[in-house]
Amino acid sequence: MSVVETPQSNRLSAEILKKEFERFALLMAWGLLFILFSMLLPDTFMTWRTVSSMLGSQAVLVVLALAILVPLTSGDFDLSAASTLVFTAMFLAVSNVNWGWSIGASVIAALLLGGFIGAVNAFFVLYFRIHSLIITLGLGTFLNGMTLWISDSRTIAGVSMKLVELVVIKRLLGVPMAFYYGLAVAVIMWWALEYTITGRKLLFVGRGREVARLNGVSVDRVRATSFAASGILAALAGVLYTGMTGSADPTSGLSLLLPAFAAAFLGATAIYPGRFNPVGTLVGVYFLITGITGLTMLGADAFVQSLFYGGALIVAVSLSQLVRKRQPQNFG
Amino acid sequence: MRFHGLTLTTGALAAFSAMMPVSASADAMADAQAVLDAHRVVPEFNPLGSPFDATACMADKSVFSIPVNMAIPFNVELQKAMRRAAEDVGFTYTTWENQGASDSWIQGVNQAIAQDYSLIDVAGGLNPEMLAPQLREAKAAGLAVTTTHLYDESQEQADFVDASAKVDYRRAGEILAAWAFVETAGKPNVLIIGSDDVLPSIPFVEQIKESLGEYCPDCKTRYLNVPVNEWATRIQSGTQSALLADQGINYILPIYDSMTQFVTPALRIAGASNVGMASYNGTPFVLDMVRDGTVQMDVGESLGWAGYAAVDAQMRVLCGLEVPESLGIPLLIFDASNAETAGVPADFDSGYGDGHISGFRKLWGLEG
Repeated sequence: MSVVETPQSNRLSAEILKKEFERFALLMAWGLLFILFSMLLPDTFMTWRTVSSMLGSQAVLVVLALAILVPLTSGDFDLSAASTLVFTAMFLAVSNVNWGWSIGASVIAALLLGGFIGAVNAFFVLYFRIHSLIITLGLGTFLNGMTLWISDSRTIAGVSMKLVELVVIKRLLGVPMAFYYGLAVAVIMWWALEYTITGRKLLFVGRGREVARLNGVSVDRVRATSFAASGILAALAGVLYTGMTGSADPTSGLSLLLPAFAAAFLGATAIYPGRFNPVGTLVGVYFLITGITGLTMLGADAFVQSLFYGGALIVAVSLSQLVRKRQPQNFG
Repeated sequence: MRFHGLTLTTGALAAFSAMMPVSASADAMADAQAVLDAHRVVPEFNPLGSPFDATACMADKSVFSIPVNMAIPFNVELQKAMRRAAEDVGFTYTTWENQGASDSWIQGVNQAIAQDYSLIDVAGGLNPEMLAPQLREAKAAGLAVTTTHLYDESQEQADFVDASAKVDYRRAGEILAAWAFVETAGKPNVLIIGSDDVLPSIPFVEQIKESLGEYCPDCKTRYLNVPVNEWATRIQSGTQSALLADQGINYILPIYDSMTQFVTPALRIAGASNVGMASYNGTPFVLDMVRDGTVQMDVGESLGWAGYAAVDAQMRVLCGLEVPESLGIPLLIFDASNAETAGVPADFDSGYGDGHISGFRKLWGLEG
């Protein structure tokens, strides 16, 4: 007996091939980018020092992008994530430096505060039925004011070197520990979304709240959990931010919000196309930093980096849409 | 003979050229050291203008100051000092509290016109060009317009501005260049980090490059331009990339010292513990970093002095007197040897002495 290939099975395998290509296109683009810069800068780019440097420097952005990814998955936006990062980083610094708390107590308090901020977001969004964009924007602005208040608008330096050591000075395989923290969060989140009931419920709610509700999923509880998780992860990003610099300043971390959203959307074109996913986000962040590092090493002007950042996002999402035959976007 | 002569001439030339770099280098080192020495002593007050009776002249005058953003501690301290000076003289001085939004600056100008102030001052880095229509309207309504702590002395002020209390950013550039040259024993390979979107950055960076070029024409400099709103996202990655691209970089000069907090992790991640860092502004948390050795040097300026000098310029405009071209604020080097004089923890005004207060009071006829 022999297997006869029909046009239908050919079409099917072409379809599968196309889907697989779409899944790994960003990963391949990242590889190509790496090869391109290695050829242009053979002595400096393709070294372990450069790789470890790129890996070690992006942990804050990775964790912040993963923080906003949780509510994005359940169909909500958290625009307060960067403000939570800055506020918790400042709280950590002020409590450790000015109030004399131990670094352990300051870190735990910062993470708890992050969870509380997420819960406040959830309360206003779910109880008053207000769109998450409005509430998180409002709470984010409120937190910016709180940050200026507790810091007296100043940068607080002198945070315990224990934290700095745990984040950026200690290394594994030459790569600062910060990278492994970001990687661990991404892997745990991937596992939770793929293999736990809570994770599947989160995806289900994101795909269609009404359908999820009719199937017996407690939509409000899932959304509330996603806001709290987002707050805790944003606070963890704040802890890493403080550990990176050994200080906290009241405004500059706010500029991480848009890159975090860019990484999340870029990540949604990879691994599980059309779906926000942690591994895709990780690839997105490191694809972008590879481009930025290579361009900077080549001596490109600041504006070229912005062109690359914005351009890469638009091109990747547009190409992904072409492969999907321009189906309407329904991220979630 | 000819051959001999040629040999002798060549030999003499070779000996001369071999000596030249040594002598030029020695001169350069002495020159750089002299620049640093001049900024290591606590400054004395030298009046830049002629004395006048400030109380009489300012009796019916008032000043309305619009800082770029009162969420920035630098602006808060500068405003406090200006208010102290105004209270000393006894005229009405109002600070327009805002958080850096252009609509609130516009609202400030409108308030000043509506309430018949005598002078509008835009302070702490706010570019008057951004409020040109409103400030022209203020001028038409009879108000004077000044800027404080914005332009470098080499820069021209906007045509509708009556006077500007300018800052000697080029001098700060000379100090940073001299410091990097001396600290690297005459072999600097410098990464300069600036923000071209901040008005005085261009002459500041130009001066660092020019000075280093004079000390050692073959020395390498590399410039990283990072717009202010991208400091948190671009300084660290840009510094790391520069260090990886040229592993010979031995000094980093972020021109504004708040940049240093993003350079520090880049040095740690890139494993560049032997690379030094020096900057300018005298911001307290950076002075603390100088004290603990994370930053090697910070050029500071007394904001108390700057506030008095700014008010001096404003009063001279309103009194019809000639206005000095510069704020004349002395720059002081803070390194490991004197960082504690800036306070523990550091503040904006310690370490510079208080000679300026009695100096200005005498200049204004408030004390004999």
